Amino acid sequence: MLRLLAPLMLFTFAAEAETAADKALKSMTWDAIVAEARGGEVNWFMWGGADNINQYVSDHIAGILKRDYDITLNRVPITDAADIVNLVLTEKEAGIDAKGAVDLIWINGENFRSMKQADLAFCGYTDLLPNDALVNWENPAVANDFGVPVDECEVPWNTVQFAFAHDSAVTPEPPRDMASLLDWIKANPGRFTYPAPPDFTGSAFLRHVFIHAAGGPDSLIGPFDQTRFDEVATKTWAILNEIEPFLWREGQTYPNTIAQLNELFANGEVAFSFNYDPSQFGLAVQAGTWPESTRSFGLTDGTIGNTNYTLIPFNSPNKAAAMVVQNLLLSGDAQLEKAKTEVWGAAPAIEISRTSPEVKAGFAAIVGHPSVVSAQDLAKAALPELQADWLTAIEAGWKASVGN
Amino acid sequence: MTDRTRIFLLLTPALLLLGGLFLAGLGLGLLRSFRYMPALGLTEPDLSAYAAVLASPGFLASLGLSLWIAGVSTVIAAGLAVLSAVLLRQTFPGRAVILFLFQLNLTVPHLVGAIGILYLFSQSGSFARLAFAAGLIGAPADFPVLTQDPWAIGIILQYVWKEVPFIGLILLANLQAISPGHEAAARSLGASRWQAFRHVLLPMLMPGLVAASALVFAFAFGAYEIPLILGAHAPEALPVLAYRSFTDVDLANRPEAYAMAMIIALIGAGLLAVYARLALPSRGRDAR
Repeated sequence: MLRLLAPLMLFTFAAEAETAADKALKSMTWDAIVAEARGGEVNWFMWGGADNINQYVSDHIAGILKRDYDITLNRVPITDAADIVNLVLTEKEAGIDAKGAVDLIWINGENFRSMKQADLAFCGYTDLLPNDALVNWENPAVANDFGVPVDECEVPWNTVQFAFAHDSAVTPEPPRDMASLLDWIKANPGRFTYPAPPDFTGSAFLRHVFIHAAGGPDSLIGPFDQTRFDEVATKTWAILNEIEPFLWREGQTYPNTIAQLNELFANGEVAFSFNYDPSQFGLAVQAGTWPESTRSFGLTDGTIGNTNYTLIPFNSPNKAAAMVVQNLLLSGDAQLEKAKTEVWGAAPAIEISRTSPEVKAGFAAIVGHPSVVSAQDLAKAALPELQADWLTAIEAGWKASVGN
Repeated sequence: MTDRTRIFLLLTPALLLLGGLFLAGLGLGLLRSFRYMPALGLTEPDLSAYAAVLASPGFLASLGLSLWIAGVSTVIAAGLAVLSAVLLRQTFPGRAVILFLFQLNLTVPHLVGAIGILYLFSQSGSFARLAFAAGLIGAPADFPVLTQDPWAIGIILQYVWKEVPFIGLILLANLQAISPGHEAAARSLGASRWQAFRHVLLPMLMPGLVAASALVFAFAFGAYEIPLILGAHAPEALPVLAYRSFTDVDLANRPEAYAMAMIIALIGAGLLAVYARLALPSRGRDAR
């Protein structure tokens, strides 16, 4: 069997060097790229779990692309970008170097690291996009994706910052920092839980406890340090094991996904949910699944923020058109539209100060959803995201020491 | 054209599908489980992924959980199916309606059934709400834990609900081929109802029952979506563990995911062998 299939695997070596077509594309002017993109079709694989985000992309963005650039945008809904990393990896293994199925991915963090690790991203082109000038690449939270240098391999789309949600009718005075949250959990048995990692949001909650145990983020910035990790991890597991008997179902089980935690919160089983994208709280209220009295807050000792991006795989057959999509997504108008509460409520990835007066006025006029804590309020106490190696070590350690 | 070539030609599409999609996929999975993935720079095949999987602490717990889920579901479903089939074999008014209702959930996808179980049996589900309205419980936490629970009750409920009609239908078809004369003869010779069932009817049903049960066991053992939705966070059922490893952020873990999938496939193949022995006609044994 091995001998039979080995030749199949051999032509995977072909994908090493950058193709001539990619080089030619990068040497074009923007006008030439737009001309090349005309009539193109872009398959954008993105998380499809929120109707209003889907609508913004399928109606607003796709409409402009068709009208102004004659580009067809196909939104392909997915649940986890990790699946798409596998898809592109499989294509690379099968020797599909120019006709891949994926033109654009909504991505960040660990999945971006995987794409870079296996050379699956199209890189070195972002300064060609005219709207790239609106991006503040000096900001380390934009230039690094969970601590991994972006290196012109992806284009920022939104910024988010972690926040907690509570029902003000049930819990009028929620705890405002990590220490008092931990006390609150012990005083209110069965009313708190967090999704078990590797759930994205549960893993982010864990990092807040980890940073709390470390006494702040300063000693955790930078590359992974085993000694420092062991030291902080011991304290973190002690804290989490101490609160475990006071969690939902006495900590004998944890929700597997953030969707399950949201469901528990909607049903009143637990007092808090949390999310990396606080605009989701407003959406849940608008959808009628969460109570109108839902309110949200950050922690005075800070919550973690990050940036999410769009990325073109190395084997996209429509790179020029995908670049036009990325450029449009970065434009002041498109960023303003998705920042509107009734559209999405997503915080921009561009510097508002670099946009036109109309766009600036538009941002100034936005009134937030009452259930969504404003990005400005959250930004008063922001924590950096840890590098991916810290993240995987924390997830593995939790599984061995807490969630066993 | 001889009969033999005609049969061969007619089977070709099915064989191409099987060989091209299933066996080739299995072969590639096997290669990767031996840590042969040139795209990741792995070109020296070895067995270390299997060693790592078998030595990891979570694996045996997951294997045990999957065997527990599949075993208990199959035994309960088979027992209920025998009972239902024997009852439904008799003629009584309204039999057609009951037979229809009995088969109805065969058409409901597993996933939909799982969500239904969640809505009904979770601590904030419909039954919990009824219990609350009746004053039996004061808060969701007072309702018994039936989903995402350590004994996998929710998962087993789902499989039993779904597989009773499956086994039952196979048994009903078998029963039609068995003349009631055997039992009548046993009864006339002094056997009680139970003895006639236990010593005459059940042995004749056994091959079909074991074959259907083997299929159900293999399915419950290898299915991913039900334990994902209804299972506790740890231990995870084996297919969930394999998929987690397949979507792990570290690409270097892929071979372990494939090794786990191969182990699941191996156990499934073993059950298929049981099925083939019992369900497919073998000339030697028929003469017995």
